[in-house]
Amino acid sequence: MARVKLTNVKKIYDNKVVAVQDFNLDIADKEFVVFVGPSGCGKSTTLRMVAGLEEISEGTIEIDDVVVNDLQPKDRDISMVFQNYALYPHLTVFENIAFPLRLRKVPQEEVFEKVAEAAEILGITEYLNRKPRALSGGQRQRVAIGRAMVRHPKVFLMDEPLSNLDAKLRNQMRAEIILLRKRIDTTFIYVTHDQTEAMTLGDRIVIMKDGYIMQVGTPDEVFDHPDNLFVAEFIGAPKMNTFKADLVFEDGEYYVKAFGAKILVDGEKGEQLKKQQTKPQEIILGVRPEHIVLAKENEGIKCTVRVNEMMGSEIHLHTVTDDETNLIVRVPTIGLTQKQRNDLQAGHVFNITFQGKVMHLFDVETENNLLK
Amino acid sequence: MTKKHMGQKLKNRLSNGFIYAILIVVSVIWLFPFFCLVCESFRCESSHQVGYILPRQWGFDNYINLFTKTAFLTWYKNTFIIAVFVSVIQTLMVLTMSYTLSRLRFKGRKGLMNIMLVLGMFPGFITMIVLYKILSGMGLTGANSVPGLILVYTASSAMGYYVSKGFFDTVSRSLDEAARIDGATRFQVLTKIIMPLSKPIIIYTILTAFMGPWGDFMFAKYIAHNTTSGMNVAVGLQNLISTPSSLTANYTMFCAGGVLVAVPITILFMSLQRYYVEGVTGGAVKG
Repeated sequence: MARVKLTNVKKIYDNKVVAVQDFNLDIADKEFVVFVGPSGCGKSTTLRMVAGLEEISEGTIEIDDVVVNDLQPKDRDISMVFQNYALYPHLTVFENIAFPLRLRKVPQEEVFEKVAEAAEILGITEYLNRKPRALSGGQRQRVAIGRAMVRHPKVFLMDEPLSNLDAKLRNQMRAEIILLRKRIDTTFIYVTHDQTEAMTLGDRIVIMKDGYIMQVGTPDEVFDHPDNLFVAEFIGAPKMNTFKADLVFEDGEYYVKAFGAKILVDGEKGEQLKKQQTKPQEIILGVRPEHIVLAKENEGIKCTVRVNEMMGSEIHLHTVTDDETNLIVRVPTIGLTQKQRNDLQAGHVFNITFQGKVMHLFDVETENNLLK
Repeated sequence: MTKKHMGQKLKNRLSNGFIYAILIVVSVIWLFPFFCLVCESFRCESSHQVGYILPRQWGFDNYINLFTKTAFLTWYKNTFIIAVFVSVIQTLMVLTMSYTLSRLRFKGRKGLMNIMLVLGMFPGFITMIVLYKILSGMGLTGANSVPGLILVYTASSAMGYYVSKGFFDTVSRSLDEAARIDGATRFQVLTKIIMPLSKPIIIYTILTAFMGPWGDFMFAKYIAHNTTSGMNVAVGLQNLISTPSSLTANYTMFCAGGVLVAVPITILFMSLQRYYVEGVTGGAVKG
């Protein structure tokens, strides 16, 4: 049961480097919030300030309406899972998990019960007598999670817990974290640089860059309505195609002109532009690779394939237009004949198009979304 | 087995044999003086230095005389008390100092480390006269030199933090952080996490802290100042042979004392040496 509130939180290091700038966020009880961003964006620093491992330079952090700025980590009722597991190497798995309980002088029987329960949930019962060095990476991370969950903390912090695991194990553990979250049902703050983890795990995602919050929203919101160019390019894989284009207003409708094509901005987006009375201007246009479709010959935009990345269920085509703009196109393989697949090799020329409703329009100067 | 394999095997044997030969020679050179000392200590036919090694008459006379005719037991007790106190106090100080410098960041940390480095470059005995004056003023010389010496040996012990700080630095900081989040205080982090992981370095600290005062002569001599009851073994034994006539009379007894001085150190080393090589840090963090 915990609400975490960060108000104007700032972190300035001794060498005057500002790691986190004016961070404001209200995390509801039992919410799963993911901080995501490239390395050096301040996400881990923010998490460590919540944990009490970093001093807060300015602002306040509250857990359940209590300001915790000056509380020691042990007095905040939080637990944390580290990227490098941070298991105690001289203790067995059992003692590692029991460590927080022992420090709280929990009776022996209760320790046994709780450790057994956690081990059962995480499937590590058979390893309880082993030392961490005798475990694989995935097992070690389970032990670390066990140690964190055993005392039912108010807030569960995870600092890139899956980054050291191989891709297959990462997918498996991601699913397990979703299940775990349902079982322990507490407030989670999860830090990652992997947008897939952010999208799949988070109730809300906080996207950060250079110490600033770029956008806070649900996975749908940040994917469908990115506030700015950074979020648009960061979320989604392969990343969104962005290029310069012109927004024009003709006959009562907005159009985007790019690569010699003129595409109507229809649907909600068109309506909103009209409502905002946006003035025609040069813009940065964003289109996700999956929203680009193959067009008939002599229609749409002409592209030449440079690289073909066969992913199995889809092909990522790295293409280039006549004016040397790079575009990535994602083509599902399921509808393609073998001949069509074979055709899509480097040097192949084809035409593409996209619909007005999937376009994202950004201001050239501020890089903010034109649709407010 | 091919010829090539045979050749390799022979080569390995030869090189091993060579290494063992060198080791044997080195150990003989090292052990020979101690062997002579032990032989001298059991010699009963004469008490002065002689030109041969093996005694003509073996016996415990020298040992018995040492305990009955001199204050050896008092010296031994003094030394033991000093060494035990110093090893406990010094180990605690070194470990807490090393942990502080390794883990905490505070104003003046670098400066403090530099000052200690520079101070450590001065030999300890340059402060001898001043220390004597201070201890004398406190009444901690002569017969009271045991507490005086404990004070002298432990006073600057925190300055010997280098080796253990270096070791603590290799223990991942995320272990500290994990323990602090799990509910440990800084002190508990030291005792429950860092210390169990640093056994070899703690043993090293205890051993060096014990051996320093155990074998010290200069300070002990100066502070005991010819008072028999305040001497440690080194000073007391030297006192036995300090004049040419006493050297002739007490030489074999002096050797018996030398053997007894080596006993506790040998036991201490043998019982603690296995921790020296024991490494326990595997699997803590992703390597």
